[in-house]
Amino acid sequence: MGLTWLKGLIRRRTGRMLGQIAGIAIVVLMLGSLGTFFTAARGWMTEQALKAVPVDWQVLVNGSTDTASALKTIAGTPGVNAALPVGYADTSGFTSKVNGTVQTTGPGKVLGLPAGYSSTFSGEIRPLVGASDGVLLAQQTAANLGATVGSRVTIGRSGRSSTTLTVAGVVDLPAADSLFQSIGAAPGSAPSAPPDNVMLLPSATWAQLFDSAPNGTTATQIHVDLSGNLPTDPGAAFADVVGMAKNLEASMAGGGLVGNNIGAQLDATRSDAIYAELLFLFLGLPGVIIAGLLTGVIASSGRDRRRREQALLRVRGASPRQLVRLATWEAVLTGAVGIALGLIGAALTGRIAFGTSNFGATTAQAVKVTVAACVAGAALCLTTIVVPTWKDARALTVADARAVVGTPKRPLWMRTYIDVLLLAAGGLIYWQAVRNGYQVVLAPEGVPTISVSYFTLLAPILFWVGAALMIRRLAGTVLKRGRVLLSRMIRPLAHGLSGVVGAGMSRQRTPLARGLVLMALAASFAVSVAIFDTTYSAQARVDAQLTNGADVAVTTAAATGLPAALASDVSTLPGIAAAEAMQHRFAYVGNDLQDLYGVNPSTIGRATNMSNAFFGSGTATQVLATLSKTQNGVLVSDETVKDFQLRPGDTMRLRLQSANDHAYHVVPFTYVGIAREFPTAPHDSFLVANASYVAKATGNPATQTLLVKTTASPPTVAAGISQLLGPASGATVQDIVTQQKITLSGLTAIDLAGLTKLELVFALLLAAGASGLVLALGLAERRRTFAIASALGAKERQLAAFVWSEAGFIAIGGSLIGVAVGWGIAGVVVKILTGVFDPPPEHLSAPWGYLIVLGVATAGAVIVAGLGMLRATRHPAMSILRDL
Amino acid sequence: MNDDVLVRAVALARTYGSNAGRVTALADATFTIRPSDRVAIMGPSGSGKTTLLHLIGALDSPTAGEINWPSLGAASTLRPGPIAMAFQGPSLLPPLSVVENVALPILLAGGTEKDSIDSAVRLLDLFELRELAEKLPEEISGGQQQRAGLARALAGGPNLLLADEPTGQQDHTTGHRMMEALMLEVDRADTSVVIATHDPIIASYCKTRWSVENGRLITETPAWA
Repeated sequence: MGLTWLKGLIRRRTGRMLGQIAGIAIVVLMLGSLGTFFTAARGWMTEQALKAVPVDWQVLVNGSTDTASALKTIAGTPGVNAALPVGYADTSGFTSKVNGTVQTTGPGKVLGLPAGYSSTFSGEIRPLVGASDGVLLAQQTAANLGATVGSRVTIGRSGRSSTTLTVAGVVDLPAADSLFQSIGAAPGSAPSAPPDNVMLLPSATWAQLFDSAPNGTTATQIHVDLSGNLPTDPGAAFADVVGMAKNLEASMAGGGLVGNNIGAQLDATRSDAIYAELLFLFLGLPGVIIAGLLTGVIASSGRDRRRREQALLRVRGASPRQLVRLATWEAVLTGAVGIALGLIGAALTGRIAFGTSNFGATTAQAVKVTVAACVAGAALCLTTIVVPTWKDARALTVADARAVVGTPKRPLWMRTYIDVLLLAAGGLIYWQAVRNGYQVVLAPEGVPTISVSYFTLLAPILFWVGAALMIRRLAGTVLKRGRVLLSRMIRPLAHGLSGVVGAGMSRQRTPLARGLVLMALAASFAVSVAIFDTTYSAQARVDAQLTNGADVAVTTAAATGLPAALASDVSTLPGIAAAEAMQHRFAYVGNDLQDLYGVNPSTIGRATNMSNAFFGSGTATQVLATLSKTQNGVLVSDETVKDFQLRPGDTMRLRLQSANDHAYHVVPFTYVGIAREFPTAPHDSFLVANASYVAKATGNPATQTLLVKTTASPPTVAAGISQLLGPASGATVQDIVTQQKITLSGLTAIDLAGLTKLELVFALLLAAGASGLVLALGLAERRRTFAIASALGAKERQLAAFVWSEAGFIAIGGSLIGVAVGWGIAGVVVKILTGVFDPPPEHLSAPWGYLIVLGVATAGAVIVAGLGMLRATRHPAMSILRDL
Repeated sequence: MNDDVLVRAVALARTYGSNAGRVTALADATFTIRPSDRVAIMGPSGSGKTTLLHLIGALDSPTAGEINWPSLGAASTLRPGPIAMAFQGPSLLPPLSVVENVALPILLAGGTEKDSIDSAVRLLDLFELRELAEKLPEEISGGQQQRAGLARALAGGPNLLLADEPTGQQDHTTGHRMMEALMLEVDRADTSVVIATHDPIIASYCKTRWSVENGRLITETPAWA
């Protein structure tokens, strides 16, 4: 009987079965695609983590252990690509003589590097000026000493005579935090900041100077580069490197301690991977739910007919169990085909969008995702096909089953106001989160870490579900109680039939309200994903611009700064909108050395974006105007305001290096506002002042940075500026496009492009599908009604009144509500994920192009569905008329 | 004289399907229907009665022969207006109440809401359905639905009423009362009537009786009628 039933379904209910299969396939496809996104994102994050660490391990050799044997053990460890010994020595300070004055620094470190260190660990040392080997000074040390290539610098050695060397080059140490970490020290027990004063020496020179240094003033570390052959999942890679490090420590039997830089980075990355799960929650899950609901609508589109068939079967003696068994056959067939198609589609989509068709970074993950997708598909079959049949078979009378309109019953959620409760709970959680300044991502200093409160994440979920139910309630109420209003609204379409059409719509409020809710949900999903994506992309660009400074930034570490005429020269190049020079100096705030940016507040905004989010004491315009008016004004960070208990107008006595004697002298500034972010500035403390005042106070007008806004492609403009500067300038030219690719700060580094493209396409298909299918299926259900009306003599325009009134209610009503809800949800999501953005967005960015395409696609689907039905009613099927 | 003829058909035929699966529902039917005619078409189930009514009402097109409506107009203008049809099975629009269903043909013909409801209520009274006016079709019995369908067919004041087994779902007594009400109304409005039935008693309400057997129309009153 089952096979006969299935054959009948395939032959007679082909459309409905294909629709169900498509719905199940979409759900499985979306889940599978999210799995491939996770795989790709995690793999990419691991790759970035590995790239970000210049030295994978720093093994501190125990004082009593022979360095050569430790090096042999380490080099022989599986997975180790290269191992080089590095000497660390304490110095009491450095001294240099510049123009007859003596500059002395505080205590520092002298490192001894073996030949080939720079090439083996290429990210550790960045040459700025002069040679890349020999005696090298760290950039800040060189600035403190006023030293440059060729300067003579004296190294203070504790308990021994000092020695003087000639500087061969000035370098930047981008990974100074890890380079000078205290290996094996308990957190907080050792200095966390790297030393300000650092000199790098060749191993041989270092050995001559420090081999006989007193115990405890020198140490040897072996820097290790691992082969990088690690699992793509950051969690698995973390476990691997931690295991390897422990194994090495065990092999060295206490002879060395591993500073596991790669482990720490992977640990942070492992946490960052949670972010991908958040995106899954916000971007993926609603789509899966909507696809599920759409499948439910497709399955239930034949419900009335199926109920009548069941009623007939029951009259002929079929038991409820037999009915359920028949439905199970149908579910098994549609489920098996839908799941298979969905998995194949997900693998193909993953391959095209993310470059992988794996559902997980590890076999276990892949199995988990595949099983989850299959279970979701199977659950969908069960809930949309088997459960309704089972419920009908148990509870419906034959007369009920034959009913077409039925008496709408108020479901339990409506009677208990669950929708209102959900919205109130969502509002409360959101209010709590916003009031307490909750941020999903915490980035205090250094590596961003995530502190996820899943409780707070409930807010948008509760809003979404609550809004769906509330729309359902309101749509039902409008259709039930607003019949007169509805009739008036559709009068331009229905003319004299408006009363009858309105009455018909009112009595069919259950399917119409359901259609409107589905349309609204699909539209809200598309709108929220699109707005989130656009805001995210816009903010990623702001982030990159903040890091890079502008579309193109020219920087130099040379004491003489950039050529004075560079800004005007650059302005003559093609593709330049504006070019603004900026000073980058250092200033002591108490004992704290901070970056100081000297700008022209009136014109800086021409060359780079001055967002309101950069400033804490007013809008960008207000704060910069205040700075411009106050000649010796200074903007400082929140932290500095707090540390020094500053109030606007307070005098700050900063120490700046004078050009005359290269010594630091006190310069009075007036605190006028708070700067939280600034182009090229670090994330922690920094200062912004008037360039003219800084130039006057230090006797040095030199600028170190040129910010350029472009009207042409930034890389092209950057190439033009590099050519203008010439190869010998020593200046670095960086453009935002390249910057965005390599060093996006924080968590916005995750490449969402593939996922959002996929989501946007899904959202578009779901919105168009929901509008078209809901309408087409709803109208198809009433083919008999239209056939009767046609037989009574209804003209095409009169039938159109019925069709377009319903279409308008579902499509226009659903779209408008959906856009409003989507906008609101996107706002809540962006607000809750504020920490992801650096700086946080000032407003949501609307993707107008996408929204227009969405509107056109939805309207197109509605028009096609409506015209199709009208065409069908023009010549009512004789089979229907003969049944009358 | 054309003006006296409502429907004229010559050698009318309707077949379904093609080749081996071809079924002839009606063949070579020639007839004329004039104003005030009362015609009962008799014949067993499947003989072609409904097909004939559909062709007369321009709900279907013939596959051979010719049919025209000399004093009623072109096929496209026959409904709503000159011709109305009461169907055999449930044919009320499910989302509309009984009174809205009955009023619908008047609205479709351009009548006002008030006029249409007034006429509908009068006809519901005639067919003893007044108290069910606000009910939905699914809330009333099959017989009541059939009576409402007949009231709806009369609502637009047609020149020609086609009724397919109008008492098929009525008990004997109700069927008679319904036929009396129907004849009263068509006499009042001078409406021509063609009724398809297999019940000789119902057929007895009509002066003219035709029969259909295996798709063949016989326009002479059968001897057994």
